[in-house]
Amino acid sequence: MRAITLFVCVVTAAAMTAGCSWLDDRPRPVVGASYTASGQSTDQWMSTARPTFGAAVNDYFWVKSTPIQPIEFPHVTHVEKGLTCTDYCHETVTKGPRAGLPSVNTCLICHIAIATDRPRIQQITAMQEKGIDLAWQRVFGYPETAHVRFNHAAHIRNNVECATCHGDIAHQTVAQRNVDLHMGFCVNCHREKNAPNDCLTCHY
Amino acid sequence: MDRRTFIKLTAVSTTATLGGCSVPGQQFIRFIPEEELKPGLAEWKPSVCPLCSAGCGLTVKVMQADVEVVKDGQHGVVTRGVAKKLEGHPAHPVSQGGLCARGQAAIQVTYHPDRLVQPLIRRGNRASGTLEPTTWDQAITELVAKLDALAGNGHQAALTILAGGRPTLRRALFDQFAAKFGAAPTVVHEVFSDDLLRYANGKSFGAAQLPTYDLGNAGFVLGFGADFLGTWNAPVAHAAAYGRMRRGRPGKRGYFVQVEGRMTQTGAVADQWVPVQPGTEGVLALGIAHVLLRDGLRPATTGRAGALIDGWASGLPEYAPEQVAAITGAKAERIVKLAHDFAGRGPAVAIVGGTPLAHTNGLFTALAVNALNELSGVVGRSGGVLFTPQLALPVAARGSLAQLVASPPQLLIVDGANPVFSAPVAMKVRDALDRIPYIVSFTNFLDETSALADLVLPDHTFLETIAEALPESGSSSAVISIAGPVMTPLFETRGAADVLIDVAGKLKSPLDLPWGSYQEMARASLAPLGDEAWTTAQKQSGWWGELPAAATTRPTAAEPKPRPVRYAAPTFSGDVGDFPYHFLPYASAALLDGSLAHLPWLQEMPDPLTSAMWSSWVEINPKTAAQLGVALGDVVEVTSTAGTLRVPAFINPAMAPDIIAMPVGQGHHSYTRYASGRGQNPLEILAPVAHPETGTLAWAATRVKVARVSDPDGRLIMFSALGELRENPLEGETR
Repeated sequence: MRAITLFVCVVTAAAMTAGCSWLDDRPRPVVGASYTASGQSTDQWMSTARPTFGAAVNDYFWVKSTPIQPIEFPHVTHVEKGLTCTDYCHETVTKGPRAGLPSVNTCLICHIAIATDRPRIQQITAMQEKGIDLAWQRVFGYPETAHVRFNHAAHIRNNVECATCHGDIAHQTVAQRNVDLHMGFCVNCHREKNAPNDCLTCHY
Repeated sequence: MDRRTFIKLTAVSTTATLGGCSVPGQQFIRFIPEEELKPGLAEWKPSVCPLCSAGCGLTVKVMQADVEVVKDGQHGVVTRGVAKKLEGHPAHPVSQGGLCARGQAAIQVTYHPDRLVQPLIRRGNRASGTLEPTTWDQAITELVAKLDALAGNGHQAALTILAGGRPTLRRALFDQFAAKFGAAPTVVHEVFSDDLLRYANGKSFGAAQLPTYDLGNAGFVLGFGADFLGTWNAPVAHAAAYGRMRRGRPGKRGYFVQVEGRMTQTGAVADQWVPVQPGTEGVLALGIAHVLLRDGLRPATTGRAGALIDGWASGLPEYAPEQVAAITGAKAERIVKLAHDFAGRGPAVAIVGGTPLAHTNGLFTALAVNALNELSGVVGRSGGVLFTPQLALPVAARGSLAQLVASPPQLLIVDGANPVFSAPVAMKVRDALDRIPYIVSFTNFLDETSALADLVLPDHTFLETIAEALPESGSSSAVISIAGPVMTPLFETRGAADVLIDVAGKLKSPLDLPWGSYQEMARASLAPLGDEAWTTAQKQSGWWGELPAAATTRPTAAEPKPRPVRYAAPTFSGDVGDFPYHFLPYASAALLDGSLAHLPWLQEMPDPLTSAMWSSWVEINPKTAAQLGVALGDVVEVTSTAGTLRVPAFINPAMAPDIIAMPVGQGHHSYTRYASGRGQNPLEILAPVAHPETGTLAWAATRVKVARVSDPDGRLIMFSALGELRENPLEGETR
């Protein structure tokens, strides 16, 4: 019994160290690929529904990783200063399907002059000098396998508040996923507002 | 272990594994985007389809995407606008908003997993060496050194450029390079070349180019073997015009008759399909002309096209219906009826191209059909044969592949041609290339010819550089298809034209090319069309309109004393006794001459007449198949004087019993994961018969014998169910 427990623990430990690279679903750039005489690249490109076995397991159990943002962006500070969501940062929210996330260049429109003594601002200024952007991680959204399409602009046109789906982000620092956007949530709201409830409204 | 412990341990290990690995999946470096993008919103940018010579205008859906890049040695992603979908440009006069299935698949060229992403250089010899990645600096230094070595020894003429068939400004630039360097004449190679028709049109009409047919205004169309709705010339333009001819004029439906030995996709939509003996199409054309003249249906003409036909002035006495019937196999009454229909239904136009011109008497056939068009009075008229005005470019001499094989150069630069695959194996192109000390290839993929190269220079795709084409036909006004790049290059590739300009400047005695870049060259070429031409073209995928007289090519003068031609039976490689069947390779609807076999969407596209895909097949008439004991899918051995192939059979009722047809396109040895080692290449058993006058390949002049080898071996893949079709070949297709 003890031997079996020990064995499972060892396997688990091995999975946690070696397995991590195996489960790692980061995109791998192709460099220095060599070519065989048949003209085929020797690199194998995964083309299954999910990049790794781990990603598939996570998807199956609806496990979403907690996003880790490159900097702790204080939404509340900016809203208090009178900026609205759509001013610079999420400006395509009124124009198209996606709200858009600001690049470091957008931050520096103001922060080239404002609060330049703060460590976080110095951090992003340094990033811009190096040509590196903020790799924002998605907080809301659906896995590809849900086959859902969401168009922000249509909702904004119909006066749906940002907070309806995104919660009270205006009083948060880093955005948190505190509204559960399951299908029932969408359908209820569509019913209340007499919005189209056909499957093809969202699943197309 | 008890149940409870097992469950506990499972839960512990699963949680640990998942928990430990959920984060790193999303950590990567993101670079600041270089362009302003609206996320989620598409922008449509003009471009030009690169897949065939038609030069259709495109509009490309460009949206943002994350692209993997390396900057200063760091891997990361950057958000960029990338092409996502291609459609026909609505304003373009050739494509008129349409785009064929092949054009739709052109997007796969850019995102192909086996695309070359950096220069490759050969280490070791061709037999055992490998192509290994190198840097652009090294690659260009190497090419410059090779060219300098030739120039240093005074052997400039030992350089030859081998180019593909598409007429483009890029080829004009390569021509200029060759001329300034003092290279041998550029060899332009295409297996299904229309050079014979160009030559004939030069003789008949003074315009050595492919004609544009004004089908939209025609009342009667008589096709001679040309698959003009499928693969020949400008299919999208033809299809649009054909639609107008059939249904665009209330109360008047144009009539269409197709003359050919094997039904093409075009023949399949004809009102009448007239099979004739291969190589006798010209006789039928003159038979119709004979009846037109005899019955006074058309006034006799004395134009230059007629003057090239023996007996034209005296009413073609040798081409009376009975004599024509004896030669062609079509009934005499049918010929008379055809002639009366031809004269009685408004503008009547005859179209010739493809197979009929691929016999040894192809020139006679082309001149005969040209004379029939002249008699019909439709040359240069509405509903007839037009010639799209062409932008005048410096005239460049052309060499032939046969010459290249006979005396291989010291240095070969390949640009968009793949003769190792697309020339008959019996021409021994491969052996000739082995004798060339150094080969350079500008390409996107490692095809059979590039695989032999010593230096492979990966090109931008059409979406990453200026896309352009000089359409030879398909529009009544002059067209120059051109549009700027629609996206930033994805890999370490460089535009071939820019590399060539760069190399020209780095030579020991630099070549005096008047432009600093490909874009400057393109702009300069459009300069004679006015100041606005370039900006206009950038907005709408090309420039079209009336060319100023100075910028137009002039028609050639008629020969003072033309030597009239008369019918001579076509000759074939292979004796009728030993090789009883005509072998007819044809351009595949999906893969054309095989240059598109690397695109999986096109591999997956069922052939319109057989529903076969991802495979090769030979078509056999049911009567012949019964004699040979062959059923659908059975493997047969096709043997010619040049070689043998083992291919699955397809039983095709829409062809003459003495023809064996096979699509070209498969049978690649090296052309990406999707094409390599798939199917057979009919060019491997094609005899290298040349037209006596032009030296171009007569690809329908081979005879074969066929023998059954075995039951189906699973290689024939069909969209329809193979089993059902085998049980009942004709019923199965209507399922």
